[in-house]
Amino acid sequence: MTGATIPEQATPPEAEADATVMVRAENVHKSSGHLEVLRGVDLEVRAGEVCCVLGPSGSGKSTFLRCINHLEKIDGGRIWVDDELVGYRERGGRLHELREKEVAAQRRSIGMVFQRFNLFPHMTALENVIEAPIRVRRESRAEARKRGTDLLERVGLADKVNTYPGKLSGGQQQRVAIARALAMRPKVMLFDEPTSALDPELVGEVLDVMKDLARDGMTMIVVTHEIGFAREVGDSLVFMDGGVVVESGLPREVIANPKHERTRAFLAKVL
Amino acid sequence: MSTEEATTVRARPEPIKAVPVRHPGRWVTIAVLAVLTAMFLHVLLTNDAFQWSFMIDNMFRPPIINGLVQGTVLMTVSAMVIGVGLGVAIAVMRLSTNPILRTVSWLYTWFFRAVPRLVLLAVFGNIGILWSRLEFGVPFDTQIGQLFGIDGMELRLFGFDSRDVLTGFMAGLLGLALSEAAYMAEIVRAGIQSVDPGQGEAAGALGMSRGQTLRRVVLPQAMRMIIPPTGNETIAMLKDTSLLMYVPVSMELFFQLDAVGKRTFQIFPMYVAACLWYLLLSSILLIGQYFLERHFGKGYGQTERARFRLRNLAAETGGGAAGAGGTVGGTPDGTGSGTGGTPG
Repeated sequence: MTGATIPEQATPPEAEADATVMVRAENVHKSSGHLEVLRGVDLEVRAGEVCCVLGPSGSGKSTFLRCINHLEKIDGGRIWVDDELVGYRERGGRLHELREKEVAAQRRSIGMVFQRFNLFPHMTALENVIEAPIRVRRESRAEARKRGTDLLERVGLADKVNTYPGKLSGGQQQRVAIARALAMRPKVMLFDEPTSALDPELVGEVLDVMKDLARDGMTMIVVTHEIGFAREVGDSLVFMDGGVVVESGLPREVIANPKHERTRAFLAKVL
Repeated sequence: MSTEEATTVRARPEPIKAVPVRHPGRWVTIAVLAVLTAMFLHVLLTNDAFQWSFMIDNMFRPPIINGLVQGTVLMTVSAMVIGVGLGVAIAVMRLSTNPILRTVSWLYTWFFRAVPRLVLLAVFGNIGILWSRLEFGVPFDTQIGQLFGIDGMELRLFGFDSRDVLTGFMAGLLGLALSEAAYMAEIVRAGIQSVDPGQGEAAGALGMSRGQTLRRVVLPQAMRMIIPPTGNETIAMLKDTSLLMYVPVSMELFFQLDAVGKRTFQIFPMYVAACLWYLLLSSILLIGQYFLERHFGKGYGQTERARFRLRNLAAETGGGAAGAGGTVGGTPDGTGSGTGGTPG
């Protein structure tokens, strides 16, 4: 239990000693009301890895993702991001809840992209991107604007800098949302079904931005229904059902020969 | 493109010329209303009790205009300013995670919404009975002094005579503003709660604090919901200033009109004058509210298109003229196709 703070325990199995563990979840439990949404989720994502989480709706995959940045409180287990326990501090063998400020500080380094974009509608694309860097990271306005413009250019929206979200397509909005998360220089990016609310023809532009991010070595956890993306970009694939990880492994292998019956049934429906 | 051509090739059919549905009920209604209007006008013109010329001579007298400006209008503005400010604070307390603040806020709204304004004003007008002097300093100073055997210990910083401070205007302002704050708190709370919770989550995920989220993300969006009912509250407040005569506040429109009526034994014409004055003032506010609502919240939450139009309005503020001119009527300028239509 106390050994958990020392990450050495986890490293031996693989030969890749250089890749440190960025996100680690141990036996995560979460209930809402009488419903047990998560029933013991274990996960390990190394730095620079792209981990895709698949599963039917109601399998708890989105909930799990929201637990990683403490948008949801977990009832049991532990989650570490970059060796830091999320939402709690362990002291004298007891867990202490973190203060709101400390939670906010942790969230700074965890970027999140939502299914429904959640852009601030009263701010332009650039204002959306620079808001948190200015308010939270205390960057100067000029610095934030410069970096914000660069980020919007990177997601292919250089010409939409001063446009309000209401005038952007879904794909464009989601790309602004990605730029907004990147502006906080996160160590890890969480994607909660980033393309599920998009028209089919707009999915590609968002996935392209995400591929680009993966190529640059960003650690990413992606809850998605895009099997193609998982196969092509994912370094690992996790299949969840009923609040537990049913199967995990290399995306190609899991998709080609699912070992578990439930995985097989799900993939048969999706593919 | 080719399919479009195919459809345009076909000859346009003759426009439909159908017999419209008849509405005999409307004609009956018009007839009834015409008779009622005629009766009303007849009373206005023939009943001597109206004393029209007396009313017109007296309703613009200097004390009445003074009461209107220094009492009614000034009081409405001051009470609303305090009421809105305090109301926002109380709403934020109510939605806070701190259970103590939540309880205090609940108690406040419970009390000030339960007690009628008229009663509240009477209480504040007579609060001088409770304290002849209002003083600020260490609480329970005399009692603490007695504990240590000191008689009449007073640790006061400053104080006022109640009759100087809490009479007339100040007492009335206190009563109206505190009561208004309770109603405004409910409006602001509804406004805040109407904002998509995803907005707060997005801000939280970026590491923004609750305060920053509220100020920068939630409140600006809640304003669109808050402003239209605040307009209603302002109009209600304007009318409720007539209750000030029970404080009493003498420098106030209705008090002055009533005074003229009682002095001259021509009460009814002055009450009619009051109706006309409040009608005029409310109408001015209604016009203001119309423009405010059109700007901030017309049709908000009803149709997607209205919402997009709003965003475009927001997008074009600064160049506000474009928004004012362009949004009348249907505006089929394609703004409704925001999410799906335009590919990147």
